[in-house]
Amino acid sequence: AVIGRAGAMAAAVMAAAPGGGDFSDLREIKKQLLSVAERSRERGLQHSGKWAAELAFALEPLPLSELPPPPVLTEEDARDLDAYTLAKSYFDLKEYDRAAYFLRGCKSQKAYFLYMYSRYLSGEKKKDDETVDSLGPLEKGQVKNEALRELRVELSKKHKAQELDGFGLYLYGVVLRKLDLVKEAIDVFVEAAHVLPLHWGAWLELCNLITDKEMLKFLSLPDTWMKEFFLAHIYTELQLIEEALQKYQSLIDAGFSKSTYIISQIAVAYHNIRDIDKALSIFNELRKQDPYRIENMDTFSNLLYVRSMKPELSYLAHNLCEIDKYRVETCCVIGNYYSLRSQHEKAALYFQRALKLNPRYLGAWTLMGHEYMEMKNTSAAIQAYRHAIEVNKRDYRAWYGLGQTYEILKMPFYCLYYYRRAHQLRPNDSRMLVALGECYEKLNQLVEAKKCYWRAYAVGDVEKMALVKLAKLHEQLNESEQAAQCYIKYIQDIYSCGEVVEHLEVSTAFRYLAQYYFKCKLWDEASACAQKCCAFNDTREEGKALLRQILQLRNQGETSSTDVAAPFFLPASLSANNTPTRRVSPLNLSSVTP
Amino acid sequence: MASVHESLYFNPMLTNGVVHANVFGVRDWVTPHKMALLVLLSELGRAGAQLGLLERRRLNRLLLPLLQGPDMALSRLRKAIEECCPHLAGSVHIRLKLMAEGELKDMEQFFDDLSDSFSGTEPEVHKTSVVGLFLRHMILAYNKLSFSQVYKLYTALQQYFQKDEKKNGADENEMELTNPEELDGKMEKEELDGPLREEEIACSGPLSQKQAEYFLSQQASLLKNDETKALAPASLQKELNNLLKFNPDFAEAHYLSYLNSLRVQDVFSSTHSLLHYFDRLILTGAESKSNGDEGYGRSLRYAALNLAALHCRFGHYQQAELALQEAIRIAQESNDHICLQHCLSWLYILEQKIFDSCVLLEHSVNKSLHFGLPYLASLGIQSLVQQRAFAGKAANKLMDALKDSDLLHWKHSLSELIDISIAQKTAIWRLYGRSTMALQQAQTLLSMNSLEAVNVGVQQNNTESFAVVLCHLAELHAEQGYFAAASEILKHLKERFPPNSQHAQLWMLFDQKIQFERAMNDGRYHVADSLVAGITALNSIEGAYRKAIVLKAQNQMSEAHKLLQKLLIHCQKIKNTEMVISVLLSIAELYWRSSCHTIALPVLLQALALAREYSLQYLASETVLNLAFSQLILGIPEQALNILHMAIEPILAHGAVLDKGCAMFLVAKCQVASAASYTPQKKIEALESAILNLNEAKTYFAKVDCKEQLRDVLYFQARLFHTLGKTQERNKCAMLFRQLHQELPAHGVPLINAFK
Repeated sequence: AVIGRAGAMAAAVMAAAPGGGDFSDLREIKKQLLSVAERSRERGLQHSGKWAAELAFALEPLPLSELPPPPVLTEEDARDLDAYTLAKSYFDLKEYDRAAYFLRGCKSQKAYFLYMYSRYLSGEKKKDDETVDSLGPLEKGQVKNEALRELRVELSKKHKAQELDGFGLYLYGVVLRKLDLVKEAIDVFVEAAHVLPLHWGAWLELCNLITDKEMLKFLSLPDTWMKEFFLAHIYTELQLIEEALQKYQSLIDAGFSKSTYIISQIAVAYHNIRDIDKALSIFNELRKQDPYRIENMDTFSNLLYVRSMKPELSYLAHNLCEIDKYRVETCCVIGNYYSLRSQHEKAALYFQRALKLNPRYLGAWTLMGHEYMEMKNTSAAIQAYRHAIEVNKRDYRAWYGLGQTYEILKMPFYCLYYYRRAHQLRPNDSRMLVALGECYEKLNQLVEAKKCYWRAYAVGDVEKMALVKLAKLHEQLNESEQAAQCYIKYIQDIYSCGEVVEHLEVSTAFRYLAQYYFKCKLWDEASACAQKCCAFNDTREEGKALLRQILQLRNQGETSSTDVAAPFFLPASLSANNTPTRRVSPLNLSSVTP
Repeated sequence: MASVHESLYFNPMLTNGVVHANVFGVRDWVTPHKMALLVLLSELGRAGAQLGLLERRRLNRLLLPLLQGPDMALSRLRKAIEECCPHLAGSVHIRLKLMAEGELKDMEQFFDDLSDSFSGTEPEVHKTSVVGLFLRHMILAYNKLSFSQVYKLYTALQQYFQKDEKKNGADENEMELTNPEELDGKMEKEELDGPLREEEIACSGPLSQKQAEYFLSQQASLLKNDETKALAPASLQKELNNLLKFNPDFAEAHYLSYLNSLRVQDVFSSTHSLLHYFDRLILTGAESKSNGDEGYGRSLRYAALNLAALHCRFGHYQQAELALQEAIRIAQESNDHICLQHCLSWLYILEQKIFDSCVLLEHSVNKSLHFGLPYLASLGIQSLVQQRAFAGKAANKLMDALKDSDLLHWKHSLSELIDISIAQKTAIWRLYGRSTMALQQAQTLLSMNSLEAVNVGVQQNNTESFAVVLCHLAELHAEQGYFAAASEILKHLKERFPPNSQHAQLWMLFDQKIQFERAMNDGRYHVADSLVAGITALNSIEGAYRKAIVLKAQNQMSEAHKLLQKLLIHCQKIKNTEMVISVLLSIAELYWRSSCHTIALPVLLQALALAREYSLQYLASETVLNLAFSQLILGIPEQALNILHMAIEPILAHGAVLDKGCAMFLVAKCQVASAASYTPQKKIEALESAILNLNEAKTYFAKVDCKEQLRDVLYFQARLFHTLGKTQERNKCAMLFRQLHQELPAHGVPLINAFK
């Protein structure tokens, strides 16, 4: 055991990476990546191996002389070589129990790890099989990996004696996490990251266990270049998109520009902040570099769906189906495809299939709920959303979906609760606020509704409808001053976007403004607005009539100043002085917000 | 067959988008515990006639809870059987041992033999009996198992048995572990197992659907009827979470969790659970009721209605109204009159918080009768009677209405409403000032056997009616000076309705009122003052009134007057006649304390008119007392004596001891005053009868410990004895007076001027 420890130390020394953020020696990094990929593979840790290999591939190839030497075999390794070779082949064939049997008693680090790992995997596999065979439906929650407790006892002994290498620590952490001992697991993973910083698996596990920024602050992490990847990843997870993008950008600048991993992560980050165009272009780039990639393609399809890009989505679906049709991502993409084609039954079927392939795949429940909503099968939609919430209480889309369902069932008060939940989870998302506002409007609680709309505008309205709704509310309440203000802001918003997209309510806004100025006897403004009205079909006649009236009244009255001021609603004038003050006041909707 | 089920089962079971909690339609399945029960049953059949009658009876009583209850460890089961019949426990153990230590085929053989008990011309077990159904369920469930499941069941049985053996072994061998190293290793292992063990204890094993249903219904009925017997909120929640972990689709558990959160007044989690329940229910409703969307629309409106009830319970009346409107709208759209009736009653309750609405209620009663909803109808009648009683409608009509609704209750065996009706009568009799009748009604309810007690064995114990009746009982006893009895009753209330429960506020208020009265009688005004805050928190009007009384007693007349005037206006606005009269009396008292008897008279007459109109007899008598006193002071004692005859009878029959004493005292005073004009012979007679009356007053005052009044009576008596020349009696009274006078501070009002 002493020699094993020494071996581990030697490995650790060899793996010692340059300090944090130091990417000056890319060759060294590449060497480390190659060697760790090899070592991961030897231990059956395929995902970590894949990650390292992918990253290594993004770097310049090394000349023969600089390739990392094959790992040095110790006396122990040599002794266990036969058993290891046999067991590894069994392991690769997923005969875990058999592999473990032949590895028992092996002392070398590599063989020992494989021994423990096969026992762990065997337990996991049996657990899955058990779920099928449990005696009754209620028992299914009770099935657990029986091997975990034994593994924990053995590994903790080794851990106490400090005989575990980086991989061993990683396995110990995994066992602890599976036993829901989160705190201990975090400590062990941090230790694993210190001993063997190159092993991506340990970092990834750490990502799953850290739930907020505060926790992250109090971790003492090894100062290596791997930390940068970890930080970027966890920022994405914690929705700190700005920071994440910055990190990824600096990684690209450091020389990883070809890494598909980084590109996909950046695309996902853009997706999370709903910068759809950027995300789309990056995904397209990714597809070009890695055409047979299936990971993250569900996110890509979501983007295509939002933009209603039918041909692209169809191509993607067919392409992925050719590559591998039994992947969760593929099912999800096909589901999205059918949904876009309004074949909702089929879409639901594919989401169901995705769930069959992986019951822990969260997004599919919500997406399925949306499909049932489209099919007007409200009860099934509620069911699906409830499932999504059960899997992840913080899934705001599911809460929002539930609210929508009840809104369709004409229960505005009832759905308030759900919208509020969604709003709590995404306080700065205007869609929830607008939905809340609409509900309050239906319940005739206009004060609350006004608050919601104003807030929606203040946090940056996506659909640009909040202001119009607010204006209409003011109109109803005869607060013409405020209504006009809202319409002006609305028009400024529309124009400042620079989008030429025909917006439905622009004409209403101009019509109202024209009449408002007409009432206030501000002829210049009124006529400007009336002229604008003439540009729209539905308000043309009214605009013309108003213009005539204005002309009449003007001729009757005194000659007004003829100098035509710049149209007040155009963005040129607003940029300087008219920027709307977006003060975000606390949203105190009502005394009771459970 | 089995494989088809398996594949269905492993996947989220979706047909038409609905996940079924239970594809097999099996509500129960075989577990080792159930097998032990099966063994017990078969042994019971085999033992047959050998068992004594007593043993048989005990076993039969044991069987039902075992069949329905959760799984338990073998040792516990064996203990339970041993208590009934030790001989049988041994044979069950041996059979199990043979099976567990034998081979798989033993178990298979056992199940094959099970069905034999149904065969034969005279089967041991009837097919449709409780035991028969259980057996058939088990046989069916066993036959549905796949090979691997059968094997798993067998290993589970072995473990179940071995755990028991090991436990027995551990008990015996505990002391033999001497090898230190081994002990060390063991310790370490146990230490490591620490956190896991706890987890295991927490989930003592999944309940089958049947067991879960039994558990839920049991707890729900306990919550409704006798909260103290149900599991504590925390542990019940834990059980529910456990249940939901194993079967998230078990909607009823969410509802129970809602009820449980209500117990601890948790708005957030109760709303959450309620909505979750209805989200789930909408599915099961859609599935089970095949007639289109009926079942599912139904749950929608009831969901909104329940939400309204929830908000109402937490006092969010505006929110409740919104939810109720929604429920009404949906119910109207789907023509559900029954739901509409429920909404109407709720609407009444909500409107009541704002203004009274008899019309709504009458409408509700009529409609409910029309749709055959006796429960709602009679609830409506009760509320109507209550309303009318406050509005001063004729008592005989109200009693008639209550009698009619009682007929309805007995016809439909609505035991809960019978309780409510009796409580209502108690309250109405007290309102009218007939304490004897109130006492009788209260006792009736308490000594009546609830109807449900016959069927279920659960006494309805923590309903509101019981709380009301017990509170009245406590106050009635306190009025009669039985303070020990009153505090006994309050203690009982505290146990039955723990401070955080729904009806606890009732007894809290009554408790403080009784304490307040006692403090006032003793003249400990600072204590009374400190109680006012507590009373105000529970009932603001009552609190303000009591505050005024304390101020008055502390001679802060102008403050008291101001407060009383404000209160008078408020009470007139909300039509709280009882309080209006009380306030008027207090105001009158303020006037005569300031020697303005002429001003007091019209106030008193107003109070008298009101009391007569609303037939509040007791308040009327009290007003008459005040009136008589004013007349006495104004120098017309004959007139005072005349009207006193009117009041004295009801007061002696129904009044509080204190009032009785005051009345007798006043009578004596009037007698003395009017005797002034009599002939000497007649005068002596009058004075002697006055002395007798004073004696009576003295005993009354002594009962409630009113030292001040006692002192006054003694003084008065001493003067009378002096006039009559009875020196010895006079001296005795004077001595007693002196003792009391030293104890008490002298008060500013001249003796003769005080009547209370």
